[in-house]
Amino acid sequence: MKKIFNERGFLLLDVIFLTVITALAAMILMNAAPRIRNSQSTLQMTALYLTNEQFAYLESRAVNGEPLPTNFLGEPEDLITKNFETGKEIKFLVDTQINDSSNPCKVTITVTIDGRDDFEVKAERMIWLVKEEWRRLRAD
Amino acid sequence: MLIEFAIALPLLILLMYSLATVAIEIFKLGRFQLADYVLEEEARYVMERITQEARVSKEIEIDNASNKIKIVYHVVNDDVIYIENNSAHVEDLWRTHFFKLNSSNGKLYAQRQDNAPLTSPITGDNSFGKTKINSLKYFKANEKVLRIVLEMESLETKHKIKIATAIFMPGCKKFEE
Repeated sequence: MKKIFNERGFLLLDVIFLTVITALAAMILMNAAPRIRNSQSTLQMTALYLTNEQFAYLESRAVNGEPLPTNFLGEPEDLITKNFETGKEIKFLVDTQINDSSNPCKVTITVTIDGRDDFEVKAERMIWLVKEEWRRLRAD
Repeated sequence: MLIEFAIALPLLILLMYSLATVAIEIFKLGRFQLADYVLEEEARYVMERITQEARVSKEIEIDNASNKIKIVYHVVNDDVIYIENNSAHVEDLWRTHFFKLNSSNGKLYAQRQDNAPLTSPITGDNSFGKTKINSLKYFKANEKVLRIVLEMESLETKHKIKIATAIFMPGCKKFEE
């Protein structure tokens, strides 16, 4: 009788251990999805600041009345970044479209990671060119 | 009876140890992910503070050697309104704002607070992870365009982020370097 009593106790202990371990393993496996951060939100923010940079240079030229070129007017070192340093170089390609005064200027930035196109950010801004015009007001 | 223990107990210990190691690794990755989001947010905060004030500046002075930028802009103090000749005047003020990296007055970056509800109870450090500005450089592109390059690093994950932008200041009359 003593022997049966001991065996039942160990059976219960085994059952408890099994339940606890299975629950722990299930919790870990459910959380085991890869936790690599999606780096796109950071790259989108960097690309947006880059569009602001291009617009700032375009606006400063428009105020002086100069014609607007379509290449990237900032420093070329701003076009390459190694954000979060995953070892892959991230390049930004800036494409500017200047339309006439009725349509806004469009700046499109394409982000390539490791040579492969990743995503694209587009920004538009109306930039008015300053023109001087002299008109005779009286017929002298 | 004892033989069962001799087999089961080491196996049990090994199993619990491996499960605990995997769990710690997963929680550490979760913490790194949060620290990366915090880094991105703080970089954006620093950039926005400078760009929003520089955009309306009347005078601006940059000094890269001591990493200082001085912005003078026009504010309106509508606490003081006086009536003169039946028209109301609002007092005009010029405000000068210095931004330095590490002074207590005019500090640039919003470090997450370290008070009790936001610290981790086990290790006692900031539960979001601290960040650090590695370099913040100002360049004068031309008379009305200021270019800024910011590089920040998260002390938790050692990841770095670099952002560059330029601001066009239409009302700027004086730009000194």
